[in-house]
Amino acid sequence: MEDEQVMWEVREGAVGKLELLFDRHHTGILRYFQYLTSNRTLSEDLAQEVFFRVLKYRQSYQPDGNFRAWLYQIARNVFADQLGKQKPEVAMPEEAREIRGAETPPDREFQKKQEALMLRRALAAMPGDKREVLIMSRFLDLKHEEIAAVLKCEVGTVKVRVYRAMRDLSDRFFALSGERVS
Amino acid sequence: MNCERIREQIPEALAGRLDKTAREALVEHLEGCAGCRTEVAELNAVWRGLETVKAGMDATPDAGAKLRFQEMLAAYQAGMASVQPVASKPRVVWFPTRPVWQAAMAAGLLVCGILFGRFLPQTGGSNPEMAQLRDQVENLHQMVALSMLQQQSPSARMRGVTYSEKIAQPDPQVLDALLQAVNHDSNVNVRLSAVDALQKFATEPEVARAMMNSIAGQESPLVQIALIDMLVQLKARGVAPDLVQISKNMQMDEMVRQRAAWAIHKMEAER
Repeated sequence: MEDEQVMWEVREGAVGKLELLFDRHHTGILRYFQYLTSNRTLSEDLAQEVFFRVLKYRQSYQPDGNFRAWLYQIARNVFADQLGKQKPEVAMPEEAREIRGAETPPDREFQKKQEALMLRRALAAMPGDKREVLIMSRFLDLKHEEIAAVLKCEVGTVKVRVYRAMRDLSDRFFALSGERVS
Repeated sequence: MNCERIREQIPEALAGRLDKTAREALVEHLEGCAGCRTEVAELNAVWRGLETVKAGMDATPDAGAKLRFQEMLAAYQAGMASVQPVASKPRVVWFPTRPVWQAAMAAGLLVCGILFGRFLPQTGGSNPEMAQLRDQVENLHQMVALSMLQQQSPSARMRGVTYSEKIAQPDPQVLDALLQAVNHDSNVNVRLSAVDALQKFATEPEVARAMMNSIAGQESPLVQIALIDMLVQLKARGVAPDLVQISKNMQMDEMVRQRAAWAIHKMEAER
């Protein structure tokens, strides 16, 4: 059964069916918060709050709406409320601080790992709106139409924002690694 | 197509989401534009690198996540069942069938509406729908909090206490449930959290007295000390004589006695 149909039934009172949607989307929501906060425990709590709000606001779900987009709108609001509660804090991955100065063995896997750490560092340093659009597009594989629905903007705007976010990340990454593609 | 429009399509191309026509136009442009080729190469390197970042992120939910969700769902369902309205008979409303009477009634209602709107006291711009929505949310938190405080598992009861802290307007039922938790919950952590949650009810006159009475019945010095600390925080000077008794009661734990003596001193100093 499609997400939208399940959510419609939840809206109409079959709240037990929300478990099906939890099974399908909890990992994605958790991932979304983990990328945004770099804090596993906090992300677990925020993910729970998202599903609590789905119950709370189930009557506001519109049958013609894409469920995933609606769910991520809620997740966005949960994160915004969290930022309101405490100073935004983007934890730096512990290992990322160790990159500079570390010796590089000629091992491809190690190199990939180092690049990944630098990318995480570059990602963490990006402005929140750019990071968010990149997380949705690259890590959560949301379609541009879905991102547009979450961010309440045009699909064309999403396309431009994803590109600019990639460009920003790329600049930060190459500044950290000290080498550009030639 | 100019470079800017082409570059905006690169992420989609890297994700394999570009349609055939757009892809062909991109390739054609790249053949003659070194700048855009470099751009693709750089963004491609970053795009691939992000795959490693994604793979390295452990987003496997912990085993307790599903359980927490199920507890919340069960609490919600239990709450729903308890507030389900009883089906009532449809009310029969008299309505005129003749158009002339319908028109007269409509005109009458319009005049009433205008007069009512004209002389109704201003409410300072408050929105009744918003107020209703706020009430619903508030009720939901109360419902979940009360239901969770009845659960078997200590962690669920603990979350019940947490939900109670989200309630903006203190509710007597929630207050009772929290006092019950402080006095009778089998788990020390739940009792401690419930003591903290009672801070929200500081304005209720009976809270300080109930907390004071609870101290003697507690078996854990930790909870007793938390209660004393909360009384100090609430500036509950009315319980000072009881604290004096505790500080002299040799049946009490020594730390608790010392804390009571400290509390009296502190309350006097702030006087």
